[in-house]
Amino acid sequence: MKKVVVFLLVLAMLSASVFAAGKTEAAPAGPVTLKVANYALLESGYEPFWKQVKVDFEAANPDITIEWVTAPYGEIVNQVVNMAGGGNKVDVIFGEIDWVPGLVDAGLAAPVRDILSQAFVDDFYPDVLKSFEVEGKPYGIPLYVSPYVLYYNKNLFTQAGLDPNKPPKTYDEMLSYAQKLSQLKDANGNKVYAFGQTTASVPVSGASLTAMVFNFGGQVLDAQGKLAVDNQGFKDAFTMVQKLDQLGYNPQNAKLKDLRNLFALGQLAMYYDQSWGFNGVKSINPDAVNFTASAEPLKGGNGVGASLLQAHCFILVDNGAARKAALSKFVEFVISEQTLSSYLRDLTPAYPAKKSMATMESVVNNGILKGASPAAGRVQVQSFIPRISNLNLELCSLAQAVTVGKQDVAASIEKFKNTASVKISQ
Amino acid sequence: MKSRTLKRTRADFLFSFLLDVPALLMTVLFIIVPIVDSVIKSFQDYGVRNIISGKPGVWNDFANYLYLAKTDAFTMASIHTFSFVLGVVLLQFMLSLVLSLILNTEIKGARLLRSVMMTPWVVPTVISALIWMWLFQPQYGFIKYLVDLVTFGNVKDFAVLNNPQTALAGVGIAALWKQIPLMSLLLLAGLQNVPQEINEAAMIDGAGKFRRFVSVTLPYLSPVIKVSISMAIIENFKQFPLFWTMTGGGPNNATTTLAVLSYREAFVSMNLGSGAAITTLWMLMMVLVVFFYNRIFRVQDLG
Repeated sequence: MKKVVVFLLVLAMLSASVFAAGKTEAAPAGPVTLKVANYALLESGYEPFWKQVKVDFEAANPDITIEWVTAPYGEIVNQVVNMAGGGNKVDVIFGEIDWVPGLVDAGLAAPVRDILSQAFVDDFYPDVLKSFEVEGKPYGIPLYVSPYVLYYNKNLFTQAGLDPNKPPKTYDEMLSYAQKLSQLKDANGNKVYAFGQTTASVPVSGASLTAMVFNFGGQVLDAQGKLAVDNQGFKDAFTMVQKLDQLGYNPQNAKLKDLRNLFALGQLAMYYDQSWGFNGVKSINPDAVNFTASAEPLKGGNGVGASLLQAHCFILVDNGAARKAALSKFVEFVISEQTLSSYLRDLTPAYPAKKSMATMESVVNNGILKGASPAAGRVQVQSFIPRISNLNLELCSLAQAVTVGKQDVAASIEKFKNTASVKISQ
Repeated sequence: MKSRTLKRTRADFLFSFLLDVPALLMTVLFIIVPIVDSVIKSFQDYGVRNIISGKPGVWNDFANYLYLAKTDAFTMASIHTFSFVLGVVLLQFMLSLVLSLILNTEIKGARLLRSVMMTPWVVPTVISALIWMWLFQPQYGFIKYLVDLVTFGNVKDFAVLNNPQTALAGVGIAALWKQIPLMSLLLLAGLQNVPQEINEAAMIDGAGKFRRFVSVTLPYLSPVIKVSISMAIIENFKQFPLFWTMTGGGPNNATTTLAVLSYREAFVSMNLGSGAAITTLWMLMMVLVVFFYNRIFRVQDLG
């Protein structure tokens, strides 16, 4: 008998521990709680801003509570998907424009017009909003936007005998500048890289490479979202990537964060980044404010220096009427001059996506972004496809094949075409 | 009396079975069910949309497996995985055996060395990966500095993880650093169980050091060797955190193993069906490798 009692006790304890996590969550009653998935809370520099957003928003809306859902940048989408799979959907995801098609395909993202007011949505630049469209409906709403901008180090330009107020405008000019810049050493005798273009195996590097293809007047996808790389601009861009590697100008296989690190430490003279990447530079070296300037994306081949639109955006989830109304209030609260003014001035240099915010003091007088400002009018829209991450990773593989793999550009493009067409069709 | 003994035996059997039930339940719930579920999904069109909507996957006529055959990604990932397992396990065994033989002698500071040696093993794998990533860092890494120093400045751009020819070896070095301590410890435990009287008898019979090692030590050590190599094969076959943290599968897919490929398919491309197809084939390969390894070892035992 004793043995049976012991056994039942063990089984009961085990069952309790196994099934305790499976209890269903009670539906919210009365006050509304909004679940906001936000990786930025785990990144240095951004946490105080978002914590203040919560305090200010809850003070203005006492019936709404913000509950953060956090995970590192590379894991937040999986976190959101896993939660949704368990019946616990977040209300909004703060993320990159490239996350939108995947989340639409997953059935998680809702059309923004289903949740936000007509007047609020109509205040956004139509071309910007078009960048978020899937089958004619926008599925994300940007907080701010930016093309890939060219950041350069004015001090290194001066040391190399170059005019720090005259950044290169074309790839040919850049190569002649790079020849001088690559002769420099930093204070510790380390090599100074002349030009940084990310090629590491992460989707954002693929987006950056797409921007480079646009610089050369090329395209990666056609308007229908089909692979369209048989163009001179595409070939020229990857020939340039190879040339930069052969000349030793570009740090091999680097992520954007590696480039930011090298730039902050004075070991990289120029590099392409999203405008908000400067916050990463500044968090490593606060003195970077004094030597950093921005320039327009370079013109190459027959291109006019067009670039790819990048945005930090809110991707909205439909969780019923009460939470939709609260979500609309939250989005309108955040994407406002009042909330974003200091953020865009002190943390994240970028361009507002709303017409009513165009004359914001923090944007108009932003010294870091001044040089790149004309490029804002030359952004090009990339067609949205559900497998955009696959395509971006294949672009990284192509860049690595022609650089560290030392393979022929034309042959590598042929291989890329075969692989990428299979990967994006799956 | 006999009937009472029989009753008692049956009661003991029942009780031991009941005690096994929680373990059986856990095994079925957390190992068997997920494996079967994964195999089923590998034959279905199953994506994130299915998880969120709760809709079951749809049979897709082996499309996930046919998709793997359309590019060389799966073949290359299999080659990388087998090369990695073979290289790391062989080196790991040889280095661990040497280390354990040294530690089994009466050298000064052996106890301290044993404690220090265990440090890499207790470091979490992701932290190990970060340590080695920084050591191999191409601009300011210690290894780059060391190579620069040793070659008197002739090799300036030594970047192990950026070169498709050396990246797999770079991750292998990190794996060896992390795994050698455990295997050494297991082999050391085995060595300490080799009966000294047999060794002494062999010595009296005129056997030299090498002869005693081959004819006495190794046969006594073989059960430990078998288990520790099995563990090493499995550990490296499913190695993921080192690759994902150190190289992400690059450069130019040179370190894309089956683990990396399945993760990419399932959680980057959000295609759980093809991710499951890779996992299924990967699991089959691992089962076959361990099966043949065990058979070879059994034959050797009999010999």
